This record gives sequence, structure tokens and C-alpha cells, in this order.
Amino acid sequence: MKSIAFLLVLRAARLAPVVAALALCGSPLTALAASEGEATNLQTVDQDVQALKKQLVDLNRDLFKLEEELLYPASTQVAVFLSVDVGTFFALDSVTLKVDDKEVANYLYTEREVQALHRGGVQKLYLGNLKAGSHEVVAFFTGKGPHDRDYRRGTTLKVDKTVGAKYVELRISDREASLQPEFVVRQWE
Amino acid sequence: MTAAIAAFVVAPAHAAQPAPGSIAPDFALKGIDGRNIRLSEYRGEPVILHFWASWCGPCRESAASLDALATKSTTQVVGVNLDGSAERARAVADSLHLQSPTLVDTQQTVARAYDVAKLPLTLLLDADGAIRASWSGVVPNPAELTPQLDRLRQP
Repeated sequence: MKSIAFLLVLRAARLAPVVAALALCGSPLTALAASEGEATNLQTVDQDVQALKKQLVDLNRDLFKLEEELLYPASTQVAVFLSVDVGTFFALDSVTLKVDDKEVANYLYTEREVQALHRGGVQKLYLGNLKAGSHEVVAFFTGKGPHDRDYRRGTTLKVDKTVGAKYVELRISDREASLQPEFVVRQWE
Repeated sequence: MTAAIAAFVVAPAHAAQPAPGSIAPDFALKGIDGRNIRLSEYRGEPVILHFWASWCGPCRESAASLDALATKSTTQVVGVNLDGSAERARAVADSLHLQSPTLVDTQQTVARAYDVAKLPLTLLLDADGAIRASWSGVVPNPAELTPQLDRLRQP
């Protein structure tokens, strides 16, 4: 918490000249300013505004990282990602994820989201905490399979959670030999 | 006093209706045509979100009038049907000749998130997904909606 307060104070100190510049910009004095100097001033204000925007983005990123570190410490963190490799034999509709028989995620995919996955996007499906030990991760995929038939498949993985963060990837790919979709679960350390 | 505290503690968690100015809770539901639709994918244009059910007379009236408005003014209307049955919702939407997407909230999860206590519930969302106006239990007048939509479309 102290670090957040410190960050905010630091940002406020940095932003003070920009705020002063913006205040001057709106005052009647500006109308009286010489046109040559005005252009230079506007350019400076624009640069300051851009710098201010960048500082805000940085601050937002710092706070987001801090929040994630506090809520999901590496010692207990488990993240499940979903990706699609080719996927011509399966049109994804939804995924239900269970950890130790408890439903933790249920996601319905829109056409745009499926397209993003086909273009190489990776979705963070779940981020949570698990204590060290053995856990069971089960994923159910529903959609349209070959010949436009309704398709539902489940896949299970035993996860041995150790001290470090655990990353699990669910990947939908094509099995060319059997012309069927394949659901692969991989663990990343 | 103790009883009052106990009642408060025991009372189930209840989501309050999203206040005007707040961002409308995002959701994804299956439409009667089988397509999945996510509300946030409409960001960038004003949206009329309309909760309705086939057993509610005024709902049918408002669904039809909003759909006509959508067709006339190219406004995006998204209907959320609370019948609990996709077949029933499809049959009613077909009988009303609705052209706008009709989503089916079979588990009533979205209805809970929006605290739908009275039907129909109509929300007007701006291009950022913020709630600008709402009508609960009454059919919004298209004549009242049009100027609001025009204002929201102004840059």
C-alpha cells in the first residue's frame, strides 16, 4: 500500500508542471500571447499531454501487476490458457473448466473471439490459486465437429502443483489422419 | 435489533440494478439463431438492451416497437428473452417478426446481474457501454428514444 501511495505522490509531482501548463492554456492571457510563441507553446503542451498519457498507462500497468502479484502469488498461482491450432475440424462454441470437480470457468465464444483464436490469439481462461499437491483439471469443449455435428469432448489433466506458478495450456488442433479434432493439455513450468 | 441484523446477514446476496452512468455488466449469451453474442462487442455505437418474456403482454408490444425503431433508424437493439426455453423464445420472436438479435438467458444469470425485477426492462447504452437511461415495467416511447439516440451519436 505504501508503494502505491509513493507512486501516486511521485506521479503527482511529475504532473504538476503539465497541469499548470494546461491551466495557462485555458486562461485569457493565451489570447494575448504572440502568435509565434503560441505555436511553440501548443507543441510543448501537446508533448506534455502525450507524456502525461504515457505516465498514466505506465501507472495503470504497475497497479495491475501489483494487484495480480497480491491476489495470485507465485506460490499458489495456476493459470489456464486456451489456444487453437488450425481447428478446421472443430468450431468452438464454449469451454467449461473444472478444477477438483469445482466449476471455475464457463466461457461462451463469439464468432469474433473464435476468429481471434484462429489468428493465433491465446486466451487466459482462468487465473486462480491452488495449494501445493495433486489436482485434477477437467475441460469440456462444445461446438460443431466434422460434418457440422454437435460435438462435446472432455479432457483431463493431473496437475502436481509445486512451489512455483503453474501454467496449463488447452490446445485445440487437427488430427489429419482421422479427420478429427484433437484436444491437447500441456503444462508449462 | 438482533433479528434485524440476523435478517440482514442471512439475506442472500442480491445484485443491485446497475446505476445510470455505470458501465453495463458484460455478458455473452446464445441467440435464437444459434450465434453467441457478447454485449461488449457492440461498443462504439449506442445500444438498446431490452429484457422481455413471452408471457408478459407489454413486453411483446415493446419488443415489436423497438424492433421497428431498429429497422427504421439503424439502431442496434439487443433483446434478452427470459422465458428459459430457446424454442419458446424463437417461436415468439418469429411470430413478432423480430429482426434484431434475440438472446436467451436460460439460467437467468444476466437477469440477476441486471436485477430485473419488472418486465419489460429497457436500457439505453452509449457507445462506451455506459447506461444513459432505463425504463422498468413500461414501454419506452420511440419518439422519446430517437432524440436521445441522436444525441448519443453526436461526436
